Amino acid sequence: MRLLTATGHTIRHSPRLATGLALLALMILLAVLSPVLVDAIGNGKDPLELATYERWLVPSSDHLLGTDQFGRDVLAMVISATSVSLQIGAIAGVISTVVGVIVAFVAGYKGGWVDNVLSTFTGILLVIPTFPLLIALSAYAKNVSLFQVGVMISIFSWPFAAKTIRSQVLSLRSRPYVDLARVSKARDLEIIVTELLPNLLPFIGVGFASSALGAIFGLVGLEVIGLGPGGVIDLGQIIFNAINTGALTLGAWPMFVVPIVLLTVLFAALNMINIGLEEVYNPRLRGVAGE
Amino acid sequence: MTKTIELSGVQQRFHARGAAGGYLTAVEDASFTLSPEPPQVVSLVGQSGSGKSTIARNVLGLQKPTSGTVKYGGKDIFKLNRDEYDDYRRNVQPVFQDPYAIFNPFYRVDRVLWKAVKKFGLATSRAEGLALIERSLDAVKLDPDRVLGRYPHQLSGGQRQRVMLARIHMLRPAFVIADEPVSMLDAQVRRLFLDILLDFQREYGMTTLFITHDLSTVYYLGGSVMVINRGRIVERGPVDVVMHEPSHPYTRLLLDSIPQPDPDQRWTGRIEVDELSGTAEAGTPKATAPETPII
Repeated sequence: MRLLTATGHTIRHSPRLATGLALLALMILLAVLSPVLVDAIGNGKDPLELATYERWLVPSSDHLLGTDQFGRDVLAMVISATSVSLQIGAIAGVISTVVGVIVAFVAGYKGGWVDNVLSTFTGILLVIPTFPLLIALSAYAKNVSLFQVGVMISIFSWPFAAKTIRSQVLSLRSRPYVDLARVSKARDLEIIVTELLPNLLPFIGVGFASSALGAIFGLVGLEVIGLGPGGVIDLGQIIFNAINTGALTLGAWPMFVVPIVLLTVLFAALNMINIGLEEVYNPRLRGVAGE
Repeated sequence: MTKTIELSGVQQRFHARGAAGGYLTAVEDASFTLSPEPPQVVSLVGQSGSGKSTIARNVLGLQKPTSGTVKYGGKDIFKLNRDEYDDYRRNVQPVFQDPYAIFNPFYRVDRVLWKAVKKFGLATSRAEGLALIERSLDAVKLDPDRVLGRYPHQLSGGQRQRVMLARIHMLRPAFVIADEPVSMLDAQVRRLFLDILLDFQREYGMTTLFITHDLSTVYYLGGSVMVINRGRIVERGPVDVVMHEPSHPYTRLLLDSIPQPDPDQRWTGRIEVDELSGTAEAGTPKATAPETPII
């Protein structure tokens, strides 16, 4: 509760955090409402179905962003693609953060041979060139689902989080307050969760944001070369189509520009939230002195 | 209830790149016994890097010695069963050096005290616990209203260190391991802190292992003293004897290093710290190798 009031307080005082949250909320809202919105755009028809409309219509009041090479409504496509991109970000972000945090805490807190084994393993995964391997994996596994792609991307993105958090754990575990907790009969897990974890929230936040963004862009990268999961349209696939069909020369610029703008906004929003939250994590900045 | 802390032949090595043999010996063959009957203050004096804090960590069970044993009530502290461990933790409690780092910056200072209440089952209800906390804060001359509900960065170093003393007051351990508790406090708060520590000794029968580099505080506290140099305990005895008739050259050097609060007496002779540590390395005979522990 106290943390909530503090968060509210911080949001009001940090334009950066407020902007970031507003942008992200808007995109999530868009994603959640995407079925409804797509229905509304279709007006009885399915705007994502092939040949629903004329091909290559330029933006007009009927089709705000025009249509693509198959006669689908680009606005509807972009909206549902945003939902897909956010999903992949959430899936991969959560998986890689959880795995990364667990590995980092076990390695950093336990030390010794446990740390050696885990760090070597993390290091090996870090130096594997991710993208070519993802291409190979996607090409090999035909018709992968969105979730499977998310897992595949997470396999290669958790080591980044693990590496940074581990080094922080190493520095925090020798703090006197950890010693004090130990002489107060706190168990290892309790120390990790109650003493170390709260102080590492900024790093975990950064880890989550970068894994999520990495996954979103990883999927875009796969889609751009035509190797995404089957049956879903994400922002990358729209860009892929735009490049492949020379949409820009046909006057269908929204197919190219809108997904890129959305990705940029998402990137900016996550980063702004992260920087803004620093003030919540750090009690010195909570401004409670006068309360 | 009269359990002793007994160190025998404690040696602590750390891996250190560049050092001879790839390790650094912080403590070598440390043996002494702390007895709670009668309650006393035992000071451990030495310069930075002499291994004082390592001994404190060994005694507190935070660092397992490379060889030798630390025993509580006759049993190795790293091999205690559950009940014995509870008893050991309850009766051997620290005051650490750095009042800034001892609090987790994420939480309010109350948490340290509440944690002691809960972990050691000091109170059965919240009201009882709060009463206990307030009583302990009073005992260390802190106003509960000005401390509770605050974040660590909102308190001064002296206040924070006294919160740690309040924790000791609540727990009433038989042994307090105070690792340079006053080195970061100003002179006035230092005196207050030492007086509280002496009060605790008198009223609650706490025996204190007082680790410091400052002989003037040792003199103030009285009791007995051990002098540690380069990981070895080189001299031990009652404070009066050691201070007035030091037998080891290192003790003499430490005594000479106390600045006199008198402008006319300023630094009559220079102290050659490097020279002494150099000869010690060359293997000068240990003037007073620790004989049978006096303490």
